[in-house]
Amino acid sequence: MSSPIQPIQPGIVTNIALPSLDSPEPSNEFRDLLSTSIAAVNQQQNDAQTAVNQFLSGDSSIELHSVALAGQRADLSMDLFLQVRNKVLSAYQEIMKLQM
Amino acid sequence: MTLLSVRERLVASNIANADTPGFKTKDIDFQSDFESALEAASPPVIEVEGLKIKNDGNNVNLDRESRMLGETNLRFNIASQLVRSEIKSIRNAIDEGKNG
Amino acid sequence: MSLFSAISVSASGMDAQRTRAELLVENLANSETTRTPEGGPYRRKDAVFTTQSTSSPFQSVLQNQFQDQTTGVAVAEITVDDSPPELHYQPGHPDADANGNVAFPHINPAEDMVDLMSASHSYQANVTAISSVKDMIQRSLDILR
Repeated sequence: MSSPIQPIQPGIVTNIALPSLDSPEPSNEFRDLLSTSIAAVNQQQNDAQTAVNQFLSGDSSIELHSVALAGQRADLSMDLFLQVRNKVLSAYQEIMKLQM
Repeated sequence: MTLLSVRERLVASNIANADTPGFKTKDIDFQSDFESALEAASPPVIEVEGLKIKNDGNNVNLDRESRMLGETNLRFNIASQLVRSEIKSIRNAIDEGKNG
Repeated sequence: MSLFSAISVSASGMDAQRTRAELLVENLANSETTRTPEGGPYRRKDAVFTTQSTSSPFQSVLQNQFQDQTTGVAVAEITVDDSPPELHYQPGHPDADANGNVAFPHINPAEDMVDLMSASHSYQANVTAISSVKDMIQRSLDILR
């Protein structure tokens, strides 16, 4: 004998945990990613500048090729960072357009 | 590349002192652990074994030094070419993303 | 900066070899000179080489210890041969002494000629070294291109 159909209990719906729309987790992750990237690129630029200064002041512990390599490293990381930033920017603009 | 620069300088020094009484030929110690040679702040410099000693105590052999000069120069050339092509391919990878 | 120091080192080599060559040429030119302002025959000169720490004009005052291991060369002193001169019996010679002997310089031209070739060879090796180092410096800069 099957039990009679139960009326829908209000509790069923409210017990389902809905994802909170203003959860801070995902956007913080991206912000952190961005700030660590900025810090890294900045560090590379500083390193390159330090290397140049060291070399020009006659410090005998740094070789010319090390200075050149530091410069290229800084260049490359800056390039990469700018490309990523451009992508993010255009993606953001796409999304903004959608919402209008 | 730093190691090669240092070696080139040692070879130049050997050549300059080819007629200095008592001067012993110097070189980088490649026999010892290569890895640690790369890491060391100052590469291990040793006196070269097995060279004929002339009457005045000098054991510099100009033929050997000339050969070392050519070899070191060539390796440095190769190293810098390899580094350059690495940089180029990283740059290509970054630029690919621009249009992709 | 190893490469820049290398240039200084090779330059010191060139200097020393040139001095040596000059002395040898002087010896050869004077191998028969029996009369000098100081009195007596010409005395053979030789250069004594010694190692010398070279510093590149680009280096700052503070260098690390390691730099001293690669050294250039310098002429420590120029020695004058003071062994007794060779006496040849030539009574008619203006510089002949009471016994008719003339004092000639103690120089073996063949030996000095060989030394001169050696000095020239070494000089050339130093020039080649500088050229090789310049090449490496250029390649270091190429990394930036």
